[in-house]
Amino acid sequence: MSTNKIPLLEVKDLKQHFPITSGSILQKQVGAIRAVDGISFDVYPGETLGIVGESGCGKSTTVRSISQLYKPTSGTVKFNGVDLVKADHRTMLKARRDIQMIFQDPYASLDPRMTVRSIIAEPMVIYNNRKLLEKPMSSIEIERRVEELMERVGLNKAFKNRYPHEFSGGQRQRIGIARALALNPKIILADEPVSALDVSIQSQILNLLSDLQKEFGLTYIFIAHDLAVIQHISTRVAVMYLGKIVEVSEAVQLYDNPLHPYTIALLSAAPIPDPQIERERKRIILTGDVPSPDKERNGCYFYDRCPKKMPWCSCHIPPMFKMNDKQEVACWLYDQTDHSKTTMEEAQADAAKVQN
Amino acid sequence: MFFTRNKKKNAALNEFDQVVEGNSLSKDAWKRLRKNKAAVVGMVIVIVYSLLAAFAMFLPIYPYDQIILDHQHLRPSLTKTAGDLMMENKLKDLYFKAWRAGTLVVTDAQSKQIETWIADNETNNVWDFCYTEGQKQLAAGTFTFSDADQRTIDRLQEKINTEFLIEVDKMYYTDPDTGKTKNIARMDFEQIKQIYADYLGVDVAVIAQQSDQEIRNQVLNKVKAATPGLSTEEYEANLELELQSMGDKGIATLGKSNMLVSIKTAISRSIERGLKQEIKDGTAKFPVNRTVVVNEKISAAITADLKHTRHYYLGTDYSGRDMLSRIIYGGQVSIAIGLVGTITSVLIGIVLGAIAGYAGGKIDFFLMRLVDIMYGLPYMLLVIIFMAIFGRNIMNLFVALAIVSWLTVARMVRGQVMSLKNSEYVEAARSMGASTWRIIFRHMVPNSLSVIIVYSTLRVPAFIMQESFLSFLGLGVQAPYASWGSLVGDAVNGMTLYPWKLIFPALAMTIFLFAMNFFGDGLRDAFDPQSKNQL
Repeated sequence: MSTNKIPLLEVKDLKQHFPITSGSILQKQVGAIRAVDGISFDVYPGETLGIVGESGCGKSTTVRSISQLYKPTSGTVKFNGVDLVKADHRTMLKARRDIQMIFQDPYASLDPRMTVRSIIAEPMVIYNNRKLLEKPMSSIEIERRVEELMERVGLNKAFKNRYPHEFSGGQRQRIGIARALALNPKIILADEPVSALDVSIQSQILNLLSDLQKEFGLTYIFIAHDLAVIQHISTRVAVMYLGKIVEVSEAVQLYDNPLHPYTIALLSAAPIPDPQIERERKRIILTGDVPSPDKERNGCYFYDRCPKKMPWCSCHIPPMFKMNDKQEVACWLYDQTDHSKTTMEEAQADAAKVQN
Repeated sequence: MFFTRNKKKNAALNEFDQVVEGNSLSKDAWKRLRKNKAAVVGMVIVIVYSLLAAFAMFLPIYPYDQIILDHQHLRPSLTKTAGDLMMENKLKDLYFKAWRAGTLVVTDAQSKQIETWIADNETNNVWDFCYTEGQKQLAAGTFTFSDADQRTIDRLQEKINTEFLIEVDKMYYTDPDTGKTKNIARMDFEQIKQIYADYLGVDVAVIAQQSDQEIRNQVLNKVKAATPGLSTEEYEANLELELQSMGDKGIATLGKSNMLVSIKTAISRSIERGLKQEIKDGTAKFPVNRTVVVNEKISAAITADLKHTRHYYLGTDYSGRDMLSRIIYGGQVSIAIGLVGTITSVLIGIVLGAIAGYAGGKIDFFLMRLVDIMYGLPYMLLVIIFMAIFGRNIMNLFVALAIVSWLTVARMVRGQVMSLKNSEYVEAARSMGASTWRIIFRHMVPNSLSVIIVYSTLRVPAFIMQESFLSFLGLGVQAPYASWGSLVGDAVNGMTLYPWKLIFPALAMTIFLFAMNFFGDGLRDAFDPQSKNQL
């Protein structure tokens, strides 16, 4: 569907490594946490890209690297043709006006000492002061815009002088959304925006987000670990494991026909709200824990825990295999050549040959 | 912060047709502060104190450094004049001596009581008792003073009735040729020399020579004070250099001010003679405020008042200076040290602490090691060394106290900033493009305000105490200047005899510190939106 469109956001081989240092004055790097280890994906205008994965797989780091809260180690993040990683500060800020974030914890993401109006107005004030707005705003215009935004996200605008602690979790998340909308962004990076809310509020916020998407033509990158939420809101889903994307596919396709062994295991873990089916459901229990992301790997990242692993996988990093227009998967099972017969020695010899 | 006053009526925002104005933390804080009675009282007291101290020179009080030896240790009184109190003191002394001599007869029990008081060192009780008893007996006619005592009393009364103080405010010179009158202070050095010579009836050259010699001595003393331990020849050389660097203009200015003092003294002496004569004739009416013609060329505007009709509402100190004005002028120094020291140390602390906490890494490491080293050095020693190197004046005292007192603030702010640095709202602000300064001063500092405010209100008394300690060591405020600390320090000797010298400065200080603490508490609550003082 989206292949003929121009992507709004292109992420190419993005790596985000956090150095592990030792020593107090003369610090030297002794290793790195490979939080995000070479991921590539495109986001097209108007769609919602869901990112799922278990805790610690690098979902949040990915969006923070995209919005340049962390300086990526390598790779490119192209937004509207501007490479945010290499662009100078001002160009980056100008481009980032169209990239806004919604944070996970509505209790922590609002400054407790600011009134709601100051919170929502802050992005406008900052960009106004930096003279990066197309048209400078007067303080009255900002005030009007704050009221308009509060109304749009379903808050009573008479509450603008209140402080965050005077609101409930759902209302606070609305404040966070209003703040993200203040600069009319094109894309919103939502970092688990509903996981801190209870279920009835979750659906309100999700509905609000999809209404806003329709109204303003927004694009979302939406992180969650709740598979049902992802299924509900996403048009496409990327599954992450250990800093790598293992599968990207259209939402419907993914849930009907998961390809990657990890996706299959992940989906099998989601409970089904029907006792009879739930009882008969087959669960795939993965053995072992998620390995520590501090080693450099030369095989499949999922090799240690994969139920379908082959010797070949231990020393060859799988590329993304395009199955059809809707699904891409990083698993050697879907390669044209059949690797299941290859022995360990042959695989290692092949890997050594490729390296040389 | 987005609010403009010239805005017309706003549209109603809610279903109750209420207009809601935009607001921000600082405005809310002001509203909350106003609701807090104790804090408002504290704030008013602090403001009143500061205003009194700032405008002390315009208050109708006696000069804080005017020494009148006759007025030593007068007790505070709302009604009695200094003369009455002097007489009372004299009488106390005389009655006591009379009791010793046996002319003032008291009962045995009372005598015994007096003996115990003397043994217990309760001198005030002895004097008070002797005074009341003596006055009683004098009125009843059972006691009379000896001739010598009576003479002493009469002499004192005479002195009280006649002694006066003259202040020469302005001096005028009338040119005999043109008849024009000029203010002598506005004339130039040469003219003033001529006038002075005329007045004394000597040659101008003599006056000029005297003036030169005086200037040379002054400059030489200054050179000697600045660089001690040189030989006479070196001083001579330095003196010439110094005089050259002052230039003709500098020398003329110095000479002029010397000359004006001399003329003033001479004039006031001659006026004094005249006034004394008037008192003898009984024509003088005090207070005097008039222009006196000294001779055909010179006239002067003077004010004069009887010396002993002064009222000392808070008593006097050991050299007869008014305690009220000393307390007010002392407040100038103490409040300035407390506030300026706190503000500078808090500002330095916030900036360095925030930089260390926010930047982290090497900057943090070096800043914090600097703080550690400064902590390790004896703090008072640093201040003392600083004062010894850069000289003893109040400005250096401020600087010395401020440079060593930012350490704790810096540590506290650093800790706060480090814990807030990774919070989501700071991340949110960064994702919105906020600069580092904005994050620090708009997000982190307001969120650490409660600790900073509490700490700084605790610092104010500490500064006042440190200043008084330094004054006590002779490094702080020097006489004739006063500070609350030095006033209390001076009063400790003889606090049983002259308790007012201790009580009033201590009371002034206590009230100020109390007010400061309430105000600080109120500020902390006001800046916390979750505090109990809801709007």
